[in-house]
Amino acid sequence: MGHPTKIEPSFLHDLAKNAPDSESAFVKKIRESSLAELNSAPFPTRKMEDWRFTDIKPMTRTDFVPFEEAGLLPATDVEEYYIPESDRSRLVFINGEYQEKYSSIGGLGNGVTVGNLSDHLDDKNVEEYLNNLVNYENDPFVHYNGLMFEDGVFIHLEKEAKAEAPIHVLNLYTDSKKPYVATPRMLVVAEEESDVTIIEDHIGLAENAYMTVPVCEIKVKEGAHIHHARIQRDSLSAVHVSRPIAYVEKNSEYHSYTITLGGKLTRNEPRVIQEDEEVDFTLDGLVLIDGEQIADTHSVMDHRFSHAESHQLHKVVVNGDAHSIFNGKIFVRRDAQKIDSFQENRNLLLSRDGLVNTKPQLEIFADDVLCSHGATIGQLDPEEVFYLQSRGMTEEKAKEVLTYAFALETIENIKVESVHKLLIDEVYRYTKANNVSKVTA
Amino acid sequence: MLEIKDLHVEVEGSGEKILNGVNLTINEGEIHAIMGPNGSGKSTLSKVVAGHPEYEVIQGDILYNGESILELDPDERAHKGIFLAFQYPVEVPGVTNSTLLRESYNTIAASRGREELDPLQFEDYIEDKLELVQMAPEFLNRSVNAGFSGGEKKRNEIFQMAVLQPKLSFLDETDSGLDIDALQVVANGIKQLHGDDNSVVLVTHYQRLLNYIEPDFVHVMIGGRIAKSGDKELAIKLEEKGYEWLNAYGTVNGEGK
Repeated sequence: MGHPTKIEPSFLHDLAKNAPDSESAFVKKIRESSLAELNSAPFPTRKMEDWRFTDIKPMTRTDFVPFEEAGLLPATDVEEYYIPESDRSRLVFINGEYQEKYSSIGGLGNGVTVGNLSDHLDDKNVEEYLNNLVNYENDPFVHYNGLMFEDGVFIHLEKEAKAEAPIHVLNLYTDSKKPYVATPRMLVVAEEESDVTIIEDHIGLAENAYMTVPVCEIKVKEGAHIHHARIQRDSLSAVHVSRPIAYVEKNSEYHSYTITLGGKLTRNEPRVIQEDEEVDFTLDGLVLIDGEQIADTHSVMDHRFSHAESHQLHKVVVNGDAHSIFNGKIFVRRDAQKIDSFQENRNLLLSRDGLVNTKPQLEIFADDVLCSHGATIGQLDPEEVFYLQSRGMTEEKAKEVLTYAFALETIENIKVESVHKLLIDEVYRYTKANNVSKVTA
Repeated sequence: MLEIKDLHVEVEGSGEKILNGVNLTINEGEIHAIMGPNGSGKSTLSKVVAGHPEYEVIQGDILYNGESILELDPDERAHKGIFLAFQYPVEVPGVTNSTLLRESYNTIAASRGREELDPLQFEDYIEDKLELVQMAPEFLNRSVNAGFSGGEKKRNEIFQMAVLQPKLSFLDETDSGLDIDALQVVANGIKQLHGDDNSVVLVTHYQRLLNYIEPDFVHVMIGGRIAKSGDKELAIKLEEKGYEWLNAYGTVNGEGK
């Protein structure tokens, strides 16, 4: 695979030398094109507009090594992260590798195929869509994934199939002696009028440094519904660079909720691309960060046809020296009329040293559209704090309650009960921890 | 119960002076009305008693049961039984009324040596308080004041007062923005909550609330001090003549009994 490198090589190129072979001609082709793309996609620098606020040192100053040299430690207490609703609809991956013994996929009903991608390489949907839906210009990460992934998630719903339980995709990352890079992969194809809920979990089991580059391709066909919750609880030393992209066809709905709690550096680039009229999609986010964490969301909502409703509420709480970046692009193409698009980025800054950069970016070429957008950065309202204090709460308790209330809105929409509860606990833990740190500071 | 002595207050950090030597004594079981034109300092006085951090006391003192409360945080004052019904109750989306009230009730109960209530006991306790202000039980599961009408917000303040059972309540323009039915509900609630061992201060623009609740004393604030004190006849006279005629009066310190 000798493609000339047109750009300054990065650590990804070093690691790419260990790209796994594949017997499948189809995968070989993906590897081939991914390598070519990787060799022409420059690694991000602060000079690039899309990276100017993001400190990528956690990526560039870490010596990532191939898995064989990482000294991986085994995963422990895997069961602890199961969710009861998905007792028979669970796929478990450890450092990107499929775990049959922890997975359980019998409980989804007729017309639903779920399994390890590498077991479904001859499925016509895999051949048609895998790696064909990724659409990230000049992005080394997505192509690195294309070059390195072996296992992954494959979900297919036949016409009118309704998954009887939410599918839990549990990605666990183990402790290791040296930092490694994992490349989880996911392909979801929902045929006409089908319906599925997906819970995508990323959990760091220890506090080690590692990097994960999940790529997720989703095709939502006519009249299909997908509810997609993505929960990121990586190690606080980890780098998480994710690329989830969804294509929505006529009358379909795609609702995505991304909760970012972990990671030293997170760069999340969700995209939704409209492929026909009458669609409804959501790209909500909740970010709770503290300490030295950096969480960056660059999203795209691409309206290419008329009659779309789209919604993006991105809420962020920043404490300590943490840094949040938000760039929300909304495109409305020339003939895409009657678009009703809502975007709001609300930031709550709890500390003096926290930092927020926010940039809503609307590019509208149609004339009959309703696009509202807004960004706010604020502290807790002293009037609200006083109100609760006058009702007997201490100042700390009042602040905790208000932070909790701020964060809760995004979570309300997640319809899997146990995940909803789990997230409420996470928010509670975050608000609690903040008050403790403030009292002792 | 409450003694306000020569109280001078300015907005923290701005030097803008709002209260210029207020003197006021409130005894147990009394109802006082404080009236006055806009900007006379009525609302500020209520907030300062409740401990609002925006205001700084630069002279004078506030004694509650003989002890100065100036150094106490708002929550500590609430624990001692001081309550403020807000002129503009704050919306707190995401926090339900029942959560707020149980949290508040139990915090105050603990600090005053009363028994704390678990959720079920609290539900029983709260039921007849709802009737007092004619609120439906569903109301408890709604976020505090979020999306409430003006009248609902004011009723909610009186509902909180009913649940928390304060010793001294400042009701800051609780009557403003209410239609006549809501005014009656609110006034009835206040009347029922008032007793020999607790005191109420009605801060209001208008005499109409005083048709329902008869105050023991009426004070008029002008220019950050109490310009005149009297009984309910004073309120009637104000309704007829406005505040103009009082500008001629010098300082008259308002003292109950």
